[in-house]
This record gives sequence, structure tokens and C-alpha cells, in this order.
Amino acid sequence: MKSSSKLASFVNQMPDPDDRGMYCTDIDKEKIEKAIAQIHKGGRGNIIAIIDMLVPPGEGDDVKAHYALHCLALYVCGLDDDNRRRRFARTLASQLGGSRPKAVQRYLVRVLQVAGGREVVGALGALLLDEELCEPAAQALVAIGDGAAKQLRDALPRAGGKCRLTIVQNLGVVRDVESVDALKKAITDEDSDVRIAAAWALANIGDPGSATVLLRPTDAQGWERIQMTKACLLLAENLRAAGKNSEAVKIYTHLRDTRTEPAESYVRDAAKKALTAAGGK
Amino acid sequence: MRDRIGEYIMQKNKRVTRRQFLKSSIGAVAAFTIVPRHVLGGPGHTPPSEIFGGALIGCGGRGNGTFEGLGPNVEKRAICDVKFVGRVDNKMVYTDFRRVMERKDIDVVAIATPPHWHALISIAAMEAGKDVLCEKPMTRFIAEGRAVAEAEKRYNRIFQVGTYGRFGANRERHKIMASGLLKECKAVYFKHGGFKVREWSGIVNAQPQPIPRSLDWDMYCGPSPLRPYHPHRFGGTHRGYWDYEGGGMTDMGQHFFDRFQYEYAKDDTSPVEIEAYAPPAHPEACGMWGWVELKYADGLTLVFDSEEWGERYSRKEERSVNLGDLDEQSQKKLKEMPDPESLVGFPEAIRTRKQAGGNAAVSHRCVSLMHLANIAIRTGRKIHYDPVKEEIIGDEEANRLVNQPMRAPWHL
Repeated sequence: MKSSSKLASFVNQMPDPDDRGMYCTDIDKEKIEKAIAQIHKGGRGNIIAIIDMLVPPGEGDDVKAHYALHCLALYVCGLDDDNRRRRFARTLASQLGGSRPKAVQRYLVRVLQVAGGREVVGALGALLLDEELCEPAAQALVAIGDGAAKQLRDALPRAGGKCRLTIVQNLGVVRDVESVDALKKAITDEDSDVRIAAAWALANIGDPGSATVLLRPTDAQGWERIQMTKACLLLAENLRAAGKNSEAVKIYTHLRDTRTEPAESYVRDAAKKALTAAGGK
Repeated sequence: MRDRIGEYIMQKNKRVTRRQFLKSSIGAVAAFTIVPRHVLGGPGHTPPSEIFGGALIGCGGRGNGTFEGLGPNVEKRAICDVKFVGRVDNKMVYTDFRRVMERKDIDVVAIATPPHWHALISIAAMEAGKDVLCEKPMTRFIAEGRAVAEAEKRYNRIFQVGTYGRFGANRERHKIMASGLLKECKAVYFKHGGFKVREWSGIVNAQPQPIPRSLDWDMYCGPSPLRPYHPHRFGGTHRGYWDYEGGGMTDMGQHFFDRFQYEYAKDDTSPVEIEAYAPPAHPEACGMWGWVELKYADGLTLVFDSEEWGERYSRKEERSVNLGDLDEQSQKKLKEMPDPESLVGFPEAIRTRKQAGGNAAVSHRCVSLMHLANIAIRTGRKIHYDPVKEEIIGDEEANRLVNQPMRAPWHL
């Protein structure tokens, strides 16, 4: 039997959707797992051949290939052999950035979010400036963690629009200390979503020098004011946890003294309570 | 659509808000004016100081029921749903919950959106100084629950999840377990069936369809990946997708195990070992599973048996804990200990500022059971969990499901 028809027969072992379009009937665990192990034995060639079967949503039936690729990701993660997981991830990453449809690449990125590691962060980082792929790429990067910060940091100066917002937020997720200056600039961005994301990112990083920036008086109202207050409290908590009590006290004191409207009494109360715990006056 | 919105709009009420009343009442006392009966309260009359401004976020099937859970003294002042596009007046009707959070006359929020929004809206509400009653399941993944509990604590707000199993729990068992007198727990707690696994599965071959004009699909997807629209991803059947919920497991689990968790005094911990029997999971659609075994550090075992797929669980027999598990001396000690305090319901909690029985910290631990079970199902691997750090031990890829990335601008 030719290798391509062999592969097709293994992929065909994946379940058929039932009459509701679900995987609820005749789901044979052993049969699926045996077929996946056989597909994996075929190595890179089989993985690429499965990727070739994928189509964008609405452009054909790739249900079995779609499922099989995800099952392969689960399989390599469960092997207790990181070399084989890395080989699988590298194969997927090699199919990014080229001429494959964006919807297919998006799916490959999501599979990498399951099974990728440091070996694919460069390939994912290269997608951070692509409006259609920056969100899944950033999510896969932060899920992987190791090596993600550099990719996000390097992409930020060239990013605009949705990509910029995504990167700013995720620099906070990975707590990239080296991005503090860039994030401080982003706090005056013309887009309020970017300003809020930057404030949260600085707070999550817990940089003591960010207190001045976050406490700078602004005319922020409504949602933005609520979020800026959150950033201040989060930063203060992170500073306290890092033993930087005096910086935390400064933030709590500021909130206690500036949140004087009745509608913000809960913030003042929270600041007072934290101030007492931090040993402030 | 107009009629559906109309269902939620209550007659405009000219009573002042609780906050306005508290502020103005000082002046009223000083002026020594005659005040009408309803201001003073009394039988049959609720004084405005006890009237709370309420908002309902998520106006689907559970919306009104959840709002009613806020209690009798809550006046509906805003409704918000992503399906209200074209109907928004930003006074009563909204599509963007952030605008509701900005309102100073809203004191309490009922959240009945799909679960991928539960944590973010709960946190946003508490950040805006509001108390929260949130439908179950409390969250979509574990890190969300911790963030909600932190917000509850940071802002000193009231939070209650929309399930009340613990309120009818066996208090004697709770007392035994909480006493610390039982050194080793041999109990095995079963839940047979009722998980609606088949019912709340997802479609694996869904074809994209046009987005209805009344729906803000981007806002609906929110922190989850932006997928092509399909009606099965929306309006109740969303339960069958990992993006929004976690199948029947999370839909039903918080009901089932809220009581268990309280009875067995597990409000501040989680299982340490989780193993599932299930076929490989689909990446987007929730599907079939057979059983999940969850073991706590003290030996207590919890078993979910779906009875909907594969072979039944047969490793252990059911066994509960009762007074007879303690020796005579321990029973004596237990008798001398105070009985557990009564749990406080949401309406009482917002009035008295006492923590609600199903607060965020304990409800987070409860829904974590279902999230851990789903992680074991989704990875196909036995999971070892650190209940203090709330991390999976030695499985980096499985840990990615504990704290899942969100689509900007949404973050915890």
C-alpha cells in the first residue's frame, strides 16, 4: 500500500460526526489512539500530508484531518520524549508564514499552543505583525512562556492597531521587565484600550518606577478611571509582595486622598485597609 | 426583539438610590421635615435606604431567574446583552457591560452571560464597587476563579455564585471534616450520571453562517478566540464548546459539588491527583467521557461517572463519613466544638455586608473540580495538582489550560 493511501486509511479511522454533527456516537478510544500512533510513526511526511488536508472553514470537509492533527499534538505531549514533541512542533511551525490560507495557519498556531515549546517561538513571533494571526500567535506565545517576551518586545515598535494592543497586553502577561519603558510610553497612547492595557501590564510587572506614571493625575473618567484604579491597587500589591513597602504606601495614600467621591468610597476603604496592613498612616 | 427587551424593562421608578438616600438623608434629618411612610419603612414598606439599583448582564434563558436571586429589594435599572445591537439607549438597554459599570446608581449586578464572560464581568463589577450574583459555572478556567476571589477581597464586595447546594448540606459531616479530628479520610463520593455529556456536546463540522444583525459577535466571543459564527455556539448550546464553557461537566458540576465541597470541608483546597477515562478530546467541541477520579491529599476520593460513554468506574466502592468514623474521645471533643455558622444568602449579605455562603473563594474551589476534570479529559493524561500554588505539577502543556490566554483588550 502506498504511504499516502496508508495515511488516508489511518485518518479515516477518526470518528464520523453523528447525525447532530457531534462526536457522541461510536467513539472508539482504542481505535483512534492506535491510528494516531501509526500516523506519528510516519514522521514529518505524514504530518505535512495531514496539514495539506486542512481547509478554511466553509471550504470543504476536513473534520477528520482537523481532529487527527490535534490528537497527534496530545499524543506527542504524552510520550515523555521531548525530542519527538519538538520535532512535531517544528514541523507545524515550518508551515507558518507561507502561502497556506490564514485560517489554516491559525489552526496550526492553536495546535502549537497545545504542543509547542521554545523551539517554535521565533516562527510564532514572526506572525505578531499580521492582523489576522497576531491574536492566536500572541496567545500561543504566552502559553508557551519560555522565549515569548523577546518576540513580543521586538515586535512592539513595528506594530499598530490590533497587533499593538495585543502585544502591549501580553508583555504584561509575561511580566517583561525590559519592556517597562515602552509600556510607560504606551500609557499616553491615543487608544484608551492601549492605555488601559499598558497600565495593567506595568502593574502586573510590578516595576517600582511605574508608580509615578500610574499616579499621574489624568482626566480619565468612567471605565478608564476604574481600570487605572485597578492598576494602582495591583501595582501596590505586587510591590508589597516584593518587599517594597514604601512605594506601596505611596500608592495607597494617593488613592485614599483622591478617591473622595461617595461613589468611590469602596476604593478609599480598600486603600485605607491596605495602608494599615502595610504599616502606613 | 422589541418584545424581548420589553420583558426586561420595568416601569420607571422615581425612588432615590440607596447611595443618593444615604447622602441626602443627612440633610433631611437636619431640616426636620415630615417624611412619607415609605421612606421610613415598616411593614409592607421598603425604605429607599434598602432599595438597591440592579443590572442584569446577559439576558438569555437564565437572565430573569438570576436577577430574581438578587432579592426583593433590587430595582432593575439596566439590562445588557450582546444581542441588543440596534436597540441600545445607554439608559436602560446596553450591549457593552462597561457602560453599565460606569453607572453610579447600580449597586448590584446579576450575571447570566455564557461562562467565558463570568469572571471578567464579575471582576469588572467589583472594581466598580458593585456586588455580584453570578450564574454557575463561576468561571471557564482555574486562574479566572483565583482572580475573582482576589477582586472580592481587594474591594471588599459581596459575591455569590448562582447555586445553593451548600445551603442544604449535612452540617454534622461538615463539622466532623472541619474539626481536623479525622486524620485519614477513606470516603469515596460518587456522582452517577446527570452530567448531560451528550446533550452539551459541540458540533465538529459546523459551517460558518452570517452573523445576525442584532448580535455583536466580536463582543460575544470577547476573551475567547474569534471564530466564524455558527448559531450552535450561541444561546444555550454554547455549553458544548471549550471557548465558552466546558460541556455538561461544568454546566452541571457546580450544582452537584457545591454541597459535597462544603460537607467535606474542602473550601480551601483542591484534589491533588486527577485521572480521566475518555477518548481523545476534540480541540474545540466538548464531547464524550466516561469517568473522572479526583483524589484529595487526605485520601478522600471523588468520582464523576458520566454513565454516557465507555466502561463504568469500578475501582472503588462508595463510602461516606459519619460520626462513627471518630473514636469515642474524638466524638466527645467534637461535641464540645461550636456548630458551624449559618451560611448567609445574597440578599442578606448585601444588606449586612457579611460574606455570602457561596462567595468567590469557595466557589472557585468548587468549579476548579470541573476544570481539573476537564483538563484530565482534554490532555488524556493523569494530572498532579498543587492546590496551594494552583498549578499542575510536571506537565507544562497541561498547565496551559489552568491559565488560558485571553484576546485583548480582555485580561484578568
